[in-house]
Order: sequence, then C-alpha cells, then structure tokens
Amino acid sequence: MSDEKKKKKKFINRLKTMYPLRANIDKMYERVVEATNAGRPTAWSMVNWWEADAIMKAMDIEVTYPENYGAVCAAFGAAPEFLDRSEAEGFPDHMCGYARNCIGYAAKMKELGEIPPGAPMGGMAKPIFLLCSGALCDARVKWFQALGRYLDAPVWMMEIPHPGVEESMMEGVKEQAIKFIVKELKEFVLFLERLTGRKMDWDKLGEITDDIIEINRVWYEINEMRKVRPCPMHSKDFWSCMNASLYPAGDPKVSLKLYRDMYDEVKKRVDDKVSAVVEEKYRIIFGELPPWHDLKIFDELAERGWNFVIESWAYQAPKPLNYSKISDPLERIARQCYQWITGYFEDAFKAKEYMGYFAYPYLEWARTYQCDGGFFHPLLTCRTATNHLILAQDRLLSKLKVPSMIAEGDIVDTKLFDHADTMRKAEVLEEMMDHYKDVRQKEGMEW
Amino acid sequence: MTSKEKKGLALVSEIYGDRAYRARELVKKGRQVMGYFCLYPVLEMLTALGIVPYRILGDINEPITKADACLPTVVCPFVRSSLDLGLKDRYDFLDGVVMCHGCDVGEKVAHIWRTYLEPSYFHFIDTPHTIHEAAVEQFKEQLKDFRKTLESLTGKELSRDKLKDAVETCNEQRALVRELYDLRKPDFPLISGAETLQVMVALMSMPVEEGIDLLKQVISEVKERGAGPRKKQPRLLVWGSIVDNTALIEMIESSGANVVMDDTCVGSRAYFPDVEITEDPLDGLSYRYLVGLQCPRTFRQAVYGELKKDYIKDLESRFGYIKDYIREWNVDGVILQSIRYCDIHGYEVPGVEDYLDHIGMPKLYLEHDYSEAALAPLRTRVQGFLEIIG
Repeated sequence: MSDEKKKKKKFINRLKTMYPLRANIDKMYERVVEATNAGRPTAWSMVNWWEADAIMKAMDIEVTYPENYGAVCAAFGAAPEFLDRSEAEGFPDHMCGYARNCIGYAAKMKELGEIPPGAPMGGMAKPIFLLCSGALCDARVKWFQALGRYLDAPVWMMEIPHPGVEESMMEGVKEQAIKFIVKELKEFVLFLERLTGRKMDWDKLGEITDDIIEINRVWYEINEMRKVRPCPMHSKDFWSCMNASLYPAGDPKVSLKLYRDMYDEVKKRVDDKVSAVVEEKYRIIFGELPPWHDLKIFDELAERGWNFVIESWAYQAPKPLNYSKISDPLERIARQCYQWITGYFEDAFKAKEYMGYFAYPYLEWARTYQCDGGFFHPLLTCRTATNHLILAQDRLLSKLKVPSMIAEGDIVDTKLFDHADTMRKAEVLEEMMDHYKDVRQKEGMEW
Repeated sequence: MTSKEKKGLALVSEIYGDRAYRARELVKKGRQVMGYFCLYPVLEMLTALGIVPYRILGDINEPITKADACLPTVVCPFVRSSLDLGLKDRYDFLDGVVMCHGCDVGEKVAHIWRTYLEPSYFHFIDTPHTIHEAAVEQFKEQLKDFRKTLESLTGKELSRDKLKDAVETCNEQRALVRELYDLRKPDFPLISGAETLQVMVALMSMPVEEGIDLLKQVISEVKERGAGPRKKQPRLLVWGSIVDNTALIEMIESSGANVVMDDTCVGSRAYFPDVEITEDPLDGLSYRYLVGLQCPRTFRQAVYGELKKDYIKDLESRFGYIKDYIREWNVDGVILQSIRYCDIHGYEVPGVEDYLDHIGMPKLYLEHDYSEAALAPLRTRVQGFLEIIG
C-alpha cells in the first residue's frame, strides 16, 4: 500500500448513527442564543447528572453547560484569551481550566455588555440563573459563586449525597438520601416557579424524566455490548455522543430515537462481529476525559490495534433500575442520581475497595470488558478527574494484572499534552500488555 | 524537666514539637484515640464516649515520599503530606479514623486512607455542601450513623446526657480559646501569632479536658509574664488555607508585624462557634458543625433562593464576620494565603479581595506549596506590604 493510501485509510470504524446524534448535540448553543433573543429564559448549569435537567426542560428553560463550553473553546482555539483574562482577574492558574475559561468569558462579556465577538458556537448568552452542582468536585460548587463578580444572575446550589461505600449500606442511609434529594428538588422547583413566574407542569416533568431514564437505559445497553470481542464501538463514538445523555443536550425524544438507532447499529455489528478498529489487538480502558484538541492520537493508536472499549465512570449512564412503581417524578430523578453515585458500591465493598465511584468501576470493567491495559489521562487542572487515577492504576495491576500508562494533559490547556511522548509511552505499554497477558493466563484469569 | 512537670507554654512547646507523645501515653493507659481529618467530625461525640480526638495534620518539614504512590502530585500538598505521614506509620497509635467530605481531595483521601492503611475502625461523614434546612437535617442523620458506629466500637451507649455534658465541655474549651485570642487585642498583644498557633496544635493533640487545663495555664501565664511581642507593629489578620506549622506566621511576624487574628482552621474557625444547647444535642451539633463553621467549602449566599444577585450583599453574607474580626482586633491589614491546589480557597480569593477593598482594608495574597523552603521568597512581599500599611 502506498504511503498516500495508507494515510487516507481510516483505522477507526465510526458508527454511522453517531453523526446525527452529534449534530443534535451541536445545536445546543444555537438553541440557547435563539431562546435568549426571543426573550425566553436561559440558564448556565453545571453537569448535574440528571438531577436538575428534566426540571429545567419541563420549565422550558434552555440550558448551556459551561463545562462543555470549555471543551468547545479549547477545540476552537478560543480558550487562551479567556484563561489569560481569568488569571488577570486574580484567579489562580492551577484551577479548573473549564472554570477559568468561563470566568474569563464572563469577565469579557461584562466588559463588552454582550457576547464576546468571535465566541465559538455563538457563545453563551447571559443567563437568568446559574445552577451549581455538589456532585463530585469543589469547582462546581465554588465557580458560579465566583461569577457574582460579573453576573447579577442568582445562583442555585443543588445537593447530592456522596456516602462512603460501607456507610451507604447502613440501615436507612439510602432512603434518607433519597428523601434529602427529593426535598432539594422540591425547593428547586419552587425557586424556578418564583423566578420564571411559571408553574411546573408535573405531567410534562414526568414524561421528560421517563425519556431521560430511557435514554440512559439504552445508552447503558449500547455500552454493555462493547464487552464482546471484537468491541464494536470505539471511545471516540462514546465521547461524540455522551452529551445527549450526560447533559442531556437537545430534545429527549429526538435523542432517544437517535440512541435507539445507534443501539440497532451496534447490535448488528455485534451479530456480524464487526470491530471498531481494523484489527483489535489490545482492548483498552480509558481514564478521564480525552485530550479534545488531539483526538487524532486515537487513530494512530487504532492503527497499532488499540481498541478503546470503555471509559471513565463519571460519564457513563447509571446501571438501570426499575422505576415503574415510583409515581413521583422527583423521586424517580432522585433514585436515578443516587444509583449513578452508588451503583457500584455493593460490588466494591465485596472487593474491599472503598472508592466505589471513579476508581472501583475501572476494576470491574477491566474484568468484564477483558481489558489488556489502561490509558489514563490525568487533567492537571482538574483535581477530581485526577486524584483517583494512581489508586486505579495500582489496583488494576495488583488485583487484575492489567498495566496502564499515564499521559498527562488538560481539558483546556493544549500545551500540557505531549503527543510524541504519549506515543512513546504507548509503545512501552504494549510490551507490558503482552507480558501481563501471559501473567493473567498463568494465574488462570479469563483473558 | 519531664513532660509531666511541664505546664502552660512549656507544655505547649513540647507537644508542638512532638505531637503524638501525649496521645501515645494515653494509649498505653488504655484510652482510645481517634484520628480525625478536617473540622467536620464532631468532637463532642468522641469526647462523650471517652475517646481522645486527635487531629490528623501534615508536616511541612517532612518530604512527601510515600503518598505519591497513591495520590497525584497536582493535589493539595497538605492533604498529600497528611496521607504521607499515615503511610509512614506516624499515626499508627490511632484506634481508628473518622474522615469527612470537607473538600473534594479530602473526600478522596478518606477512601484512599481506608484502602491503604486499613484502620481497624473507620467512618466517613458525608458533609453536605449547603446550609439549606434539608442539608442540616441530612447532616444530623449522618451524625446518627456516626453515633451507631462509635457505639459499636466502644460497646457503650452514646446517651443524650453524655452528649450534653460533652457539648458543655467543648464549649468551655472554646470559650477559653476565645479568651486566649482576647489577649491579642491590646495594642501590645500579650501573645504572638506563632505562640497561639502552637497552642491550637497542642489542643488538637490531647483530650478536650486536658486542653481546658492547658488553656487555663497558658492564659494565666501569658497574663502574668512580662515577655511577649511588646512592640507596636502593624496588626495583621491571616486568612485562608490550613496553617499547622508556625513557619509562615513566624516569617510574617519576624518581618515586623503582629499577627493578632486568624481565619484558618487550626485557629478561630475551629474554636469560635459554640454549640447551642438543644434538647436533642444532635440538633445543636449538626447546626454548629454545618452552619457555624466558616469554611469556604460550604456554599453560602445572602438570601436562600434570591432572585437577583447583589454582589456586595453576597460578599457581606459570606465574609462579614471578617469585618467583625478586623474591628475587634483592630487589624491594619489582611494576609490572604492559600496552599497551591487548594481549590476552595483559590476560588474565594478574588471575592475576599473585593470585600476587603469594599471595607477599605489593605490586603496581600500569598500562595505557597506547604513547604518551609517556599516561604523565603514571600518574605520580600510581606515586607513590602508592611511598608505600605506601616
């Protein structure tokens, strides 16, 4: 094969159904700017893992997610200006890149009195309120509070419990947590009713909640199918489509239809034994968010036979539950959120692992997805995405004989990722994966 | 002079130099000693059961060598240092550990601590992030769970009466700490910032009752002694991340200032708020620990459910207590300090600066990496600041 032909060859077999799903996600910014121009309420929200999304959608509030916008600005090369502005405003440069991007953006918007010209995807319009989330990290509690310097929008803070693994199994803990979340949700609904002057349409909320639950069920099942050999779907497709579940961007009914189409395509690939990469040699678990500005590295790794078969816990759908007997949509929401946080705790406890989210799922997935290695991408300005990775590396190797590599980078700051060095580390990991495959087989493991 | 014979500031100095010695003595005598991390584990519940609360701290002089094998270097060096000491068996005398969801890294380290150090007793308190009414109720439920595991550990019932007694004991200690801090109010403070910090570290290393005796001795000694920082110098308040070693305060004071007040968690944040005596002591405790403790890890705002943000009101509601400190301790300037990678303080800095500007108070922001070596370059900045406000 000539070099030219080789260059054009695609080593990752992308899902066709990914493209319409992604296009629907990309319309999110357009919809928000249109809503603002039409005088409809818009909000900025942290990713809240479905705790508040259905409620905001039921109240016809269009939502922008500044964390996602950080990734957009990074991809469009617009982030450096906003990062510099944030530092000039006095925020330390080691804080979350998404947060600094947003703070810089908000400062600029205040100065200009309008969306900064040239802001990617039409920019984020001025919100009527800001929604913080207590889920997972300090930045997502503190950053919107800090925006009070630039925006007069009120801030609402959404609580979500994070019990310890063993503590979560104490009598009454789960039901108390659900009760707590429901109370918080009721307060949030009252706040939105006062803020917008609208009344909640509870039937509509119930329908949207069910749609989101169903989206997550289908998305979960799609990812379950990736356990087969060869894996039919690559992480790049996961990242392209996760936002319709995670945020959940767009009309849930449209997203649900598109996810079902994707399910059918993945199922057909499973039946036909079609791989997501040309030749699956190594099955890889990926840790944390990818280097958005350098996704081509996954094509280079695919050329070497690396198939990325599963990714970080925080962006996955929760294990499905049966919600049919729960009539209150707020309780359905609460149970789904709590399931997301604690869904792996029981198994973690049995394995004497105490970081039941973030770290433990890697162990379970490395086994059930039969992974040969881990590719961990710690994000230097994101403590939450980083502080469990060394623990995960250690447990994977000591318990499952699955080696892994660290390729440091960042979600926004492109300077922190070294492509060439990462490829060199990948070569070393290949040798380790070959070695540990023998070790696992000698120890009687299944893969 | 042996440890038994030492009293007051001499005893403080000894404990500060070897934090664990008293706790180890007590362990030998059969007392249970419980390590706690951050301010949210409720000390009254330990005290009521006769357990000695022992705060897990770091050591800025100890190179971090073991923790890096289970925690990345891009997280709070204080937390890394604390874990490092644990991994080096510096906390091997503890009968158990209680940790909490203070900050995110603290929460993760709780799980890492349990995984690697395998303490015979471990409990995690999932501290809510707001002061919403539902959050206070949730926190009370957390304390009930904590009570269950403590009862199981000790084989004793944690009754309301015992808990009420412990609340009174801890409140007595807090009152004495405030009395000690009052000795820094005169133009010529009777006790330095560095000495005060040593007292705070000592209090966190011994039973509450012994801490009460120690405070009485120190207060009496300080009132009587002729020494102390009897210079009239700029009066500073130090705000920010944890300060558990005197090096930073000594650097500031040796630059020509009196550190007369702090807003840090081995200081006023830990001891100033009292627990209200309530029929069910858990009500007063859950309120004090969640609402009363002024750590930026908790989300606060001027009006719950406000429909429009008034930035100045917001700042007033979050930092108004600092203005009270400034007035009562007659502060001339504020040093804001944060440990690198401390997100909860990092986000707060511009807001605190805005507030201090609003009330016309000079300020200086210092960031450091929790090591003594990193303090030297900061001295020049402190000296410059003192020249401006002096």
